[in-house]
Amino acid sequence: MGKHRILSPVRLLLLTLPLLCTAHAVAAQGLPAEPFVFGDGRVVVSGDVSMTTSCAHAQDAAACTKDTGFFNFSDYNDSTLRMLGAGLSASVRLGSKLTALGDLRLQNAHRPRPYGVYLRFRPFERRNFDIQGGRIPSTFGSFARRAYSADNPLIGYPLAYQYLTSLRDDALPRTVDDLFRMRGRGWLSSFPLGDQTPAAGMPLANAFRWDTGIQAHGAAGIVEAAASVTAGSLAHPIFHDNNSGKQLAARVSVKPVVGLVAGVSASRAPYVTSGSAAAAGAAANDFVQTAFGADVEYSRAHYLLRFETLSVAYDLATIEPRLRALATMVEGRYKLTPRIHVAARLDHLGFNTIASPTRTDAWEAPVTRWEVGGGYALQRNVNLRLSMQHNTRDGGRVRRMTALSAQLLYWF
Amino acid sequence: MALLAGVTGFTPAAALVASAARNGAIAGRVELRRPPSAAGRRPGVSDLGTPAMQPIAERQMSVVYLESAPRGAFEQTESDRAVMDQRNETFVPHVLAVTTGTTVDFPNSDRIYHNVFSLSKTRPFDLGRYPVGRSKSVRLDRPGIVRVFCDIHSHMSAFILVFGHPFFSVTDAAGRYRIDNVPPGTYTLVAWNEGVTSESRQVSVPDGGTAEVDFSLK
Repeated sequence: MGKHRILSPVRLLLLTLPLLCTAHAVAAQGLPAEPFVFGDGRVVVSGDVSMTTSCAHAQDAAACTKDTGFFNFSDYNDSTLRMLGAGLSASVRLGSKLTALGDLRLQNAHRPRPYGVYLRFRPFERRNFDIQGGRIPSTFGSFARRAYSADNPLIGYPLAYQYLTSLRDDALPRTVDDLFRMRGRGWLSSFPLGDQTPAAGMPLANAFRWDTGIQAHGAAGIVEAAASVTAGSLAHPIFHDNNSGKQLAARVSVKPVVGLVAGVSASRAPYVTSGSAAAAGAAANDFVQTAFGADVEYSRAHYLLRFETLSVAYDLATIEPRLRALATMVEGRYKLTPRIHVAARLDHLGFNTIASPTRTDAWEAPVTRWEVGGGYALQRNVNLRLSMQHNTRDGGRVRRMTALSAQLLYWF
Repeated sequence: MALLAGVTGFTPAAALVASAARNGAIAGRVELRRPPSAAGRRPGVSDLGTPAMQPIAERQMSVVYLESAPRGAFEQTESDRAVMDQRNETFVPHVLAVTTGTTVDFPNSDRIYHNVFSLSKTRPFDLGRYPVGRSKSVRLDRPGIVRVFCDIHSHMSAFILVFGHPFFSVTDAAGRYRIDNVPPGTYTLVAWNEGVTSESRQVSVPDGGTAEVDFSLK
């Protein structure tokens, strides 16, 4: 019953009508189509706005509600399928070798957050080599480097970069059973050590925040590489260091032929606060997140294919063995006409099996997601998208959820 | 796009004298009172360095054309070809003016992919991604403005103005233009630039002479 109910033409119309009206108004207003440029080109300001709404149907729930399974939440309050997002990016050329960059983002009614504020220094004028310092873009993986809505062929995010596991930086499980109790409850997990207030867990890699530190980034021939030292971790980028540990991350990618990019990434960092580590009678360095990633992108003519996998391990001083997670995603996009594209993504997030005295199970509930959709370009920079997403989870209160989403996207 | 809607018409007055008289020319200069701003490139997360701006000179290019053309202007039978190159992540030239029936080639001279497309009602197309050394083309059969973009590089854009007659000219770096072989008569002359409002003037082309018309676009 559920799928048919949420896909009824009336619901589809109700979902998209407000966005269509807004899209028409946006298109008619002749809003800026190019970035603003000031000071003889020294200052460039660009921006984007996205309005996303959705109609979800989970098991045992009324049709057309919010995502009651919290499959798409990036924190306890915000679902990526019901979001008003806006962003401003600016670059200010301070000299021939120095540029200041900033990225301010607003989600729903929250305070605008500076995603990134950093300096880009180019020591050698003729070499493709930069040093960046401040709150910098992620070194790891491919998705975080294209996290803006315009680069995402669908509305939802890949699980690795958005789905909240039960692990937290400020609270720790004492036993394996503590972890089992939180399976499928990453949007609001609680553990006995550290901060015992229920709060959202962490994704494998956070696409919604940038870390603070320094990064070297260069390219020579077909090879591009980046390495960074930052204060937070892949799962929990931060502004102020909270454990005196540093994240080391690196990425190398090659472009052997035009249209093909293959990359590998690695990162290692303590991921819990000093306070929660102390509550467990250990040091923050006893809780380390180690991640390896591989990604491939191939495009030609009107299609684009992407594959990305992340293998992540967590050391917990309180639990044996190591916790592991493996995320694998494949997505494709095809342009049917100059205005219309279709896209699909298949995504899985799995976890290793551990044992308590009474139970043997995966430490988190595995999740599988597929999403199909498409977009219609009202203008080059005004896009209307529709998608259908289905999630299954082997654990938690809500184990299946299907959502129909619509998004209006404008950028300049 | 309505800008060029009238170019397929013709001027009866001009037609009356065209056959017996020697053709003249229209020449002059287009001045932009407010200089165009440089084309910005969206600050990119994975950029290396801070890319240079697109030359402002490209944006100063204007097109001057007859709004309605004399009889006989549509008798051209040969199909023409024109080239809009993709070089250093820029369309070259930034403004191209052609007659209907022209096939425009879009070679890729960069060592990266480009994806030329247009959503213009005049001629929507999407050439897909193709590498350096390859070229794809589009035939333009209807008069109008074709706005051209790259699907991969949002800072790449260009204009193709398609006319139903040959009486048009793209200005040079100094803003000068010249339209030759215009039959004597009175016409409406239009100056177009991407960033400003178009301006039109009445112009009388003398028998065998040159009419001088300057524009100052706001």
